[in-house]
Amino acid sequence: MLHFVGVPFSTLLPLGAIAAALIVVFYILKLKRRPVPVPFSRIWERILRDKEATSLFSQLKRLLSLLLQLLLLLLLLLALGDPRTAVNTMKGRNVVVLMDASASMQATDVGKSRLDEGKRKVRDMVRGLGGSDRMLIAQMDSAVTPVTTMTGEVSELEAGLASVAATDTRADFPRALRFATDTLRGVPNPEIIIVSDGVLGSASDQLGDVDVGDVKLGFIPVGESSKNAAITGFSVRRYPLDKSRYEVMLEVTNTSAEEMDLELTLLGDGAITDVTQLKLKPNERLPRFYPNLSGASHTLEARLAMADGSHDDLPADDHAYALLPERRRARIQVVTDGNMYLEAALLLDEYLDVTTIPTAKYPGEGQYDVTIFDNVAPVVAAGSGHVLYLNPSGTNTPFTVDKEIADDDANYQLGFDEVDTKNPIVKYTALSDVQIARAHVLKGSKEDKIVGASFKGPILISGRRSGSKFVALGFDIRESDFPLRISWPLFLLDTINDFVEEDTSYISSFTTGQVFRVPAPSGVDAAQLLEPGKNADVPEDWRTVPVQDGRAVFLGEHAGFYTLRTADKAYETMFAANLSDPVESDIEPVKELKVGASEAGEPSGFTVGVRREFWIYLLIAVIGISAIEWLTFHRRITV
Amino acid sequence: MGILDFLSRAPKSLRGRTAQPTEDLFDDEFQRKLDYLAMVSKRVFSGAMRAERRTKKTGSGVEFADHRDYTPGDDLRQLDWHAYARFQKLLIRLYEEEEDLSIYFILDSSSSMAFGDGEKLRQAKRLVAALAYVGLANLDRVTIVSATDELSGRMPETRGKARIFRIFRFLSGLRGDGHTDLEDSLKTFVAQHKRKGLAVLISDLYDAKGFEKGINVLRYNKFEPFVLHVTDSKDRAPDLRGDVRVYDCETGDEREVTVTARVLERYAKAYDGYIEEVKRFCTRKQVAYYEASVDLPFDELILRVFRRGGFLR
Repeated sequence: MLHFVGVPFSTLLPLGAIAAALIVVFYILKLKRRPVPVPFSRIWERILRDKEATSLFSQLKRLLSLLLQLLLLLLLLLALGDPRTAVNTMKGRNVVVLMDASASMQATDVGKSRLDEGKRKVRDMVRGLGGSDRMLIAQMDSAVTPVTTMTGEVSELEAGLASVAATDTRADFPRALRFATDTLRGVPNPEIIIVSDGVLGSASDQLGDVDVGDVKLGFIPVGESSKNAAITGFSVRRYPLDKSRYEVMLEVTNTSAEEMDLELTLLGDGAITDVTQLKLKPNERLPRFYPNLSGASHTLEARLAMADGSHDDLPADDHAYALLPERRRARIQVVTDGNMYLEAALLLDEYLDVTTIPTAKYPGEGQYDVTIFDNVAPVVAAGSGHVLYLNPSGTNTPFTVDKEIADDDANYQLGFDEVDTKNPIVKYTALSDVQIARAHVLKGSKEDKIVGASFKGPILISGRRSGSKFVALGFDIRESDFPLRISWPLFLLDTINDFVEEDTSYISSFTTGQVFRVPAPSGVDAAQLLEPGKNADVPEDWRTVPVQDGRAVFLGEHAGFYTLRTADKAYETMFAANLSDPVESDIEPVKELKVGASEAGEPSGFTVGVRREFWIYLLIAVIGISAIEWLTFHRRITV
Repeated sequence: MGILDFLSRAPKSLRGRTAQPTEDLFDDEFQRKLDYLAMVSKRVFSGAMRAERRTKKTGSGVEFADHRDYTPGDDLRQLDWHAYARFQKLLIRLYEEEEDLSIYFILDSSSSMAFGDGEKLRQAKRLVAALAYVGLANLDRVTIVSATDELSGRMPETRGKARIFRIFRFLSGLRGDGHTDLEDSLKTFVAQHKRKGLAVLISDLYDAKGFEKGINVLRYNKFEPFVLHVTDSKDRAPDLRGDVRVYDCETGDEREVTVTARVLERYAKAYDGYIEEVKRFCTRKQVAYYEASVDLPFDELILRVFRRGGFLR
C-alpha cells in the first residue's frame, strides 16, 4: 500500500487534470496540419495510396504518442506525490557515525589502510540509507570533528566521508560518545555507529562513565593483524654545563605477540648517527640511552624498521622526532668594579659573550641580552636587555630596596628559609643552607615573584617590567658563602638561561593529540604554523594560530617537525611532535565493543542499491521515456 | 520603405506561392544571346538549315515524292510516260511542295508553371522567344498561344526577324494562372488553326486529366507535336517536413501527409516515374520530346534542343 508524503493528493488531482487537459488541447492543435501548396498533387496521390495501407498503424502511433505524454504526466505527478510504502512512512533513523581517525587506523593490514577500509564500509552504509534516514559523520581522533550535517543527502555524506583523514593521535572515545549522545538527544530512532579497530580505551573520563541511554549502538570493526613495533619514547636534552653535547633517551616497544628483529637508526641533522640491531620479545619495552652525543646541532630523528628492511603494519609510529634547543651566544654586560666570583662563574659557559665595564662608565655601547649590576643600581639604559641586580641599592630599581637585615640573631642563621623550587632560576640548586652575613629585604609589586626569602623578608625576587625581565638578589655574594657553592654558578647560568629563554631541559618534543603551547614573541596576536609534510614555499600551507601570553596555542595532530613564525618572519622556531603512545601502537584489532553495559552490535538496515523513495525512480522513468521519445522523434520513427 | 517594397522583399510565402515574374525577361543581353544562338545554329546545322522546310504536302516542287493514279482533269504534263510504257497504267508524278512552315508555340501558362519562384514559366518564355526567333530567322510562320484549360492568349501568325519584339511583348504579358487542361485547350487550338505545322508544346505537363490526351489531340489533327517538357528540381525535392496538408495549386485537391525522409524519397521516385512515363509515351508515339530543366543554363538548353533535332531539320 502506497502513501503520498509529498504534494497532497488533493492538490495533485486538479493539477493533473489541468495538465492533462493542456496536453490533449496541444495534441488536438498538433493534429491541425499546416496547409502546403504543391504543383501537382497526383504524384503525392501515388505514394499516399501505399501509405493508406498503414494509416491504421499511423493512427495507432498517434494515439500511442498521446498516451505516452499522459503517462509522462502521470509519472511526474506521482513523483511529486512522493509515494512510500507503509513501512517506509515510519520515522527514519538518526544515525551518528563516529569514524575513528586515530593513529592506529593508519595500519596497513587491510586494504590501503584501516581508515580506507572503514570509509568503504561507511560508504556502503550511506548508499543503503533509507528515504527518511538521516546521518551525521564525525571524525574521531583527539578531538571530535563533524564532517557533515545531519542529513539524508548521499552526496554530502560521501563528500564528508572522503574528507576524513587519519591523524597521529589517540582517539578520545568518551568525548566522541558524549558528542554523539548530545547530538542524538531528543530525536527519534537514534543510533551511534562506531567504525574503529577498537583501540579506543574505556568509555569514561573525568566526568565519569559515558551513558548512551537508549541509543542503539553499532560497531563496525576493521583490522586483521597486530604486527607492530613502535618508538614509544624519545627525549633529548643538552648537558647544562656543556651545551654542545646532549643525551638521548629512547624507548622501543614491541606491541605484537611475536618476537621481532628490529633495526633502530638515529639521525642527526639528516645524517646517520647510530644504527642498532634490536631483538624484542612479545610485548617487550626496551629503553635505550645514548649519552654524551655531539655533532648534531638541530634536528634528531629515530627510525625503526624490521631487520629485513620491511615495515610492520603501522609505519606511523616507526618514526620519532626531536629538536635540539638552538644554541646561540648570549651577550652579557657586567657592570662591576670587580667581582672575581661573578666573573669566574661566567667563564663556565663558553656560549656567553661577556663585556665587563666599570660602574662609572655605564651605560656602555652596544646591545645586550642581559646586564648584571653588581652592587650598583643605576638607571637602566636602553639596550641593556634583562637585568640581574646583585645587592642593589638606591631608588633606580623597579622594586623597593627595604631595610637591611643582618645575621645578628644567635638563634637564627640568615639565609634562604623559603625557596620557590619550581622557579627555573633556582633549578638544580640547593639554597637552603646558604649563609648570609647581611642582606636587604626586597619588595616588588604584586606581579613579581618571591623566589627566595628569609624569615625576615624576601631576598630573591623576579619580575618583568616593560617586556624585560629582572632578577634581584638582596645581598652581596661576597658577604655570604653562596659563591663557594656549586649553586652559585648554576643560579647565575639558570638566570641567564631564563632571560634568554634557553632551557637545558627543554621539552624536546611534544606529544600529538595534545594542545601545544609553543613559546612565541610577546606582542603578537597570531603566528604562522607549518605542519609536518607541508611545503614552506606554499603560502597556503602556513596555518594561522593564535598567540596567548607569549605562547602559540593549537592542537597538534601530526608527528614530525613543525615550524612557527611571526607574520613578519622576524621570528622563526622549530619544534617536534611525536605519537609516543604505547596504547595507540597496540593495534590488535577488537571484534567486539562494549560501552558500559551496552554492547555494540552489527549495524543493520542498510541495503545498498535500494532507495526507499520511489519518486527518484519515477523521475528516472520520465527522463528515460522522454529521451526515447526524443530520439525516435528526431529519427522520424514516431512521426 | 513602402509596403510594396516590403512585399517585394518579403519571403515568397508572404506573396503567395505563385510568384509572378516581374523582371525584364528579354533585355538587350537576351537579344544578343538570341543573335548568337541563331548564328551558331546556322553554322552547326548548316546542312539542314535551309530557309525553307519541306512539307508533306505534294505539289509543285521539284523533288519527286510519289505516284498516284491519273484522274480526269489532272495536268497531263505530270503524267509519267515511262511508267505508262512499263506498266501500261496512267500514273501522275507527285512532287513535294516547298512552302514556308507554320510553327506553333503552345505555352502552358497554368498556375503550376508559375509555382514557387516561377522559374518554370520564366524558362518557358525564354525558350519560346529563342525558338521563335530562330523560326522567324528561317522565314517560317510563327504563332504563339498560351494554354491553360482554354487558349488564354494568342499572338497571330507572323514572320520575319523584325517581329521578334512583338513576340517579346506578348510573352511579357503572360501570367501563370488557371489550371491545366491540355485536351480542352488544344482542341480549341486545332479548331482555330487549320494550317498544319510544327506544334511545340512547352509545358510541365501537370495535367490532372492526363498529359496524353492533349498530345494526342495534336497528333490526331495532323500537327507535328514537339514536346518541350519544362521540369524543376524543386518539384522533385520539395522543402517539406512533418505533418502537412498538401493541396494542388491548380485544382485545390487536398491530401494529408506526414513528410519524413522516407516519404520524400518515395516522392522523388514517383516524380521520376512520372517523367519517365511522359518520355515513354512520346517515344512510343514518335513525338519529339525534350526535357528542359530549369537547372540547365539557358544557352546550353537551346543548343541541346537544336542538337536533339526535331525542331530544325
